[in-house]
Amino acid sequence: MTPVIALSLFGIINLFLGFTFKRQSLQVVTLLFIICSMALTAMDWNHEYLWFGDMMKTNNLSINFSLIIQLAGLLVVAFSNGFGKDEVYTQPAEYYAILLFSLVGALLMVSFQNLIMLFVGLEILSVAMYVLTGSDKRNLRSNEAALKYFLMGSFATGFLLFGIALVYGSTRSLYISGILYNLSHTAPESLPSFLYAGIILMGIGLLFKISAAPFHFWTPDVYEGAPTIFTMFMSTVVKTAGFAAIYHILDVTFGGFQKNWIITVYFITIITLILGNISAAYQQSAKRMLAFSSISHAGYMLLTVCANQPSTSSNILYYSLAYTLATAVSFAVLMVVAEYQTGRTEKPENFDALNGLAKNNPSLAFAFTVALLSLAGIPLTAGFWGKFFVFTDMFNKNLTYPIIIAVLMSAVGIYYYFKGIISVYFNSGEIEKIETSFLFKIALWSACIGTLVLGIYPTLLKSIF
Amino acid sequence: MTLPILSLIICIPLLAALVLASGKLKGYAQQISLGASLIQIGLLIKLALGYQTSTATFQWVEQHDWIHFSLGSLGQFVAKYHLGIDGLSFGLIILTGIISSIAIWNSDSIKEKTSSYFALIMLLNASLMGCFLAKDFLLFYLFFEFMLLPMYFLIGIWGGPRKEYASIKFFIYTLAGSLFILLALLALGTSYIDPYETALAIDFIQPGQAFSAENAQMIQTAIANGEIASDKWVHSFDAAVFADLKNCYYKSILHPDSAWVLGNLSAREWAFWLLFIGFGIKLPIVPFHTWLPDAHVEAPTPVSVLLAGVLLKIGAYGWLRFTLPFFPKEALEFSNILSGIGAISIIYGAFNALAMTDLKKLVAYSSISHMGFVLLGIASFTAEGWQGAIFQLISHGVLSSLLFLLVGVIYDRTHDRSIQNYSGLAQIMPAYTFITGLAFFASLGLPGFSGFIGEFFSLMGSFNSQHSSAIWAILGGLGIILGAGYFLWTFQKMFLGKQYLKNSEWLLSDLTRKEKLSLYFLGISSLLLGIFPSIIFNLTDNWVSHLINQLF
Amino acid sequence: MEVSNYWYFLSGLTLLSALMVVLSKNPIHSVLYLVFTFFCISGHYVLLNAQFLMAVNIIVYAGAIMVLFLFVIMMFDLKKNIPDSKTNLTKLAGTVVAGSVLVILVAAFRTIQYPTPDESTFNPNNGMVENLGKVLYSEYLLPFELVTVLFFVAMVGSVMLGKREVGDRNF
Repeated sequence: MTPVIALSLFGIINLFLGFTFKRQSLQVVTLLFIICSMALTAMDWNHEYLWFGDMMKTNNLSINFSLIIQLAGLLVVAFSNGFGKDEVYTQPAEYYAILLFSLVGALLMVSFQNLIMLFVGLEILSVAMYVLTGSDKRNLRSNEAALKYFLMGSFATGFLLFGIALVYGSTRSLYISGILYNLSHTAPESLPSFLYAGIILMGIGLLFKISAAPFHFWTPDVYEGAPTIFTMFMSTVVKTAGFAAIYHILDVTFGGFQKNWIITVYFITIITLILGNISAAYQQSAKRMLAFSSISHAGYMLLTVCANQPSTSSNILYYSLAYTLATAVSFAVLMVVAEYQTGRTEKPENFDALNGLAKNNPSLAFAFTVALLSLAGIPLTAGFWGKFFVFTDMFNKNLTYPIIIAVLMSAVGIYYYFKGIISVYFNSGEIEKIETSFLFKIALWSACIGTLVLGIYPTLLKSIF
Repeated sequence: MTLPILSLIICIPLLAALVLASGKLKGYAQQISLGASLIQIGLLIKLALGYQTSTATFQWVEQHDWIHFSLGSLGQFVAKYHLGIDGLSFGLIILTGIISSIAIWNSDSIKEKTSSYFALIMLLNASLMGCFLAKDFLLFYLFFEFMLLPMYFLIGIWGGPRKEYASIKFFIYTLAGSLFILLALLALGTSYIDPYETALAIDFIQPGQAFSAENAQMIQTAIANGEIASDKWVHSFDAAVFADLKNCYYKSILHPDSAWVLGNLSAREWAFWLLFIGFGIKLPIVPFHTWLPDAHVEAPTPVSVLLAGVLLKIGAYGWLRFTLPFFPKEALEFSNILSGIGAISIIYGAFNALAMTDLKKLVAYSSISHMGFVLLGIASFTAEGWQGAIFQLISHGVLSSLLFLLVGVIYDRTHDRSIQNYSGLAQIMPAYTFITGLAFFASLGLPGFSGFIGEFFSLMGSFNSQHSSAIWAILGGLGIILGAGYFLWTFQKMFLGKQYLKNSEWLLSDLTRKEKLSLYFLGISSLLLGIFPSIIFNLTDNWVSHLINQLF
Repeated sequence: MEVSNYWYFLSGLTLLSALMVVLSKNPIHSVLYLVFTFFCISGHYVLLNAQFLMAVNIIVYAGAIMVLFLFVIMMFDLKKNIPDSKTNLTKLAGTVVAGSVLVILVAAFRTIQYPTPDESTFNPNNGMVENLGKVLYSEYLLPFELVTVLFFVAMVGSVMLGKREVGDRNF
């Protein structure tokens, strides 16, 4: 609870600081705020609290999720370069403030015990993202992306709300503990049939947020239209928070009803894997490719949700962490290269814009390569162990067909991730040395080294998770 | 304290790679990597001096805890950093060490970005050594997949005109194979329970105490009767655990009694085929060989030498070390099919080589053909067949490196590899002709050279085999004749007869001293191995007889 | 009259005005019929003893949102009739989909057993403003306060997006 309060206060303070501070100082101050709130989160380690009469819960699982989400926020703020370009980013203090507020929403989504809290958290996160997506006011793609995200997101929230209402109607309680108690003490025959509809509707509402197919149609356009720094935030924080929520709803609350929702989620997973990977192979724009790749990674994480093993929460945590580090780095590199190429090429976010990066920017190229290898699942990177643990879960549940599809789609994934590596190392192009700030470099290298260290010694964090 | 030689063998090239990647000592890249490679050979010599050929167990074993994660009520998973050598891997790591040195020594044609090039070669060397030394299947898998990356970059950056196509084809092909292996690895990991680790987990035994076979038996029966709580079961990825069928939990997917069937094949048979195909893509076996000609033709010469000399051996090593000990019964069932695939590889590779006009592609297809003998020997499941197969691995390593270096000699001078553009080279380059003739005769199986021993014993094993029919051995013999065909015709077209060069301005100097050194070294090794085959047979004898008697 | 008579009357009125929303030609008429529909639904809320919900429905929905609708309609020039550009195939597909949804809903509603309220804990005055306020400020205090953050984001966001920048065009 303390980080929630802290982040809200810090957000408000940030708004006021916008009057006096310069952009770079705002960035440092926001970083300090997030570090402070991470420390507050970590202080509750190994304690279990219930806040406000079972509204929110703090336990090791929620602390881990909160730390990953705040780490993602930290990386986004570090990569943001203080929102340097005046014409594009006109109000840096507001951006940082809204980022902090959206972290509040994400934290609510990972530690909720009442469905109302889930809804409030989801809405805070979503509305903040709608605003940030449209923050590049001069750019038509940004406006389109914001409107699309807003309309489709609100629709999905409507589904979620309808599902919550049906679940409340059938279990007479909004608290997770209350739902579990009432469901276990009622005979299965006397459960009203709209409970199952409610579960599926809630699932659909949440699956939209993590862009599972067939609810993924907003993702490529929104990811491509939003400013890259906010795309980075969307693809890391929103996904992690979304998966935490899906885990709590489908696996914890309605785990006993798995035979009702498993078929739907099973098919959604398979379609997500196939659609995400195959569409990504056709993309010319690197940013759009990363959007489709985030769809396919949602598919992999859904595999372990389907399996519903005791290790599912730990595997979701590990996969989210590996995915966060890799995606943040790849979007960061894309961002600086696109910024450099904006006046010089027609499409600054295509793979062709990355040509020849390695010649004058070896560290950027290396970081990009490590990030893409981690997303592809090559051993010695954290992404490989993420996929390995997910596959182990599936094998334990004897779900063999999705594994075969997942493995085949991994091979497809190699193709489009390597397009990036090929552009950077093999093709020739003229990119001069790109200057990046000190914080950017630190964030880039620590994320890179984190990926490699977790790839060699995954037990480092797996034992904590 | 005993020196952790095996870890050192893997770490020294890694250190060299780090030093080279930092880019500080640009001018000395080749010297540094050569130095690291020589240190590695020194360590290998020390290994050889301490090696005992009389035992079939692993020597110089190093074991450390590495990964441990628990799945709650489903048990725990343990993967160890476990290295060791025995008769099978000993010859292969010496081969790796020597071929790496020769490849580095001959890397003069690489002119740009030399420090990255040598860093990648050192990484490749480290992964190859790791593959051969790992006893834990997961550790092996990591090295196996990782070695694709340096190879991809090596072909893709320093390769020929179609390098991007060749490198991405190589990568995706072999990665698909590794994914198959991953599936089998996961199935094995979740189905088998490690008795020693479980005994440690339930405090039945303290670390460091001896663990006898009776203890293992007790643990296995306790698990089968349900006396041990399921969250104390420890699954490990150790190859020795997978080799013992009694470790398989009776309700798991890979137990012989499990009911899981997909299209007429049981789960065990599927796992066998997945492992077979995954490693077979590397060998390569015929339906999955199409990456090899492209990769070889586009790769620079020293990279081709490493690719043909060492990388192809990992496929067969994977079979011998992991696939066949894990699934002996299934392998026996399909031994006819396996021999058939081997014979088809031999014949198909040979026919393709006959049709080639590019010298390097011809040598590539002859590689495919000769590796078919390895499969033929293995699929016979006789001691002489396996001995022959392992001998053929080492012999082919030496000979194909020699052949690719020879192709490189002419390519470095003229950048043209078409056979029809040369004739009568014997008059201008006598030393080159001599060594090429030696190499061709050795490759086609002339007695006195190593190729003959390998092919002879593989075919003998295949003939004598009770599980596969003799027709495949006969076809293999036909392949030898075809081999003689393409090699001798090529020799005649290029080296004998009237002198003719397509481009009269080509400056064809004879071999330099540096080239002579490596080429003669390889030629003499092949001759030595051919005259004294016991050098290899002594190493592998114990291991082969132990395994064959135990399994078949 | 009994309560059920009120219920039938209100439902009939609701359905009628909802139909008129869809069927009327003039968009202003549609909006007004929609406002009327909301009033009828608020009447339903009264029958369910949900006072607060009735008041909020009228104020927010019929009051604020429908007025916004009217503003938007005012700004568009709706004299010319927008031609119906949907193809026959689309109309057929729409009919099939909507028809199947109707069938599924009817089938579902026929077989649903509604759970009866638990006699001991059922409080018919739950929807009264006083009771609602008590629960909102005691049990649900945390979400109530956290919605502040949501409003804050919305406010900051709308000002941020709508603020005029240097060089923007004047409408």
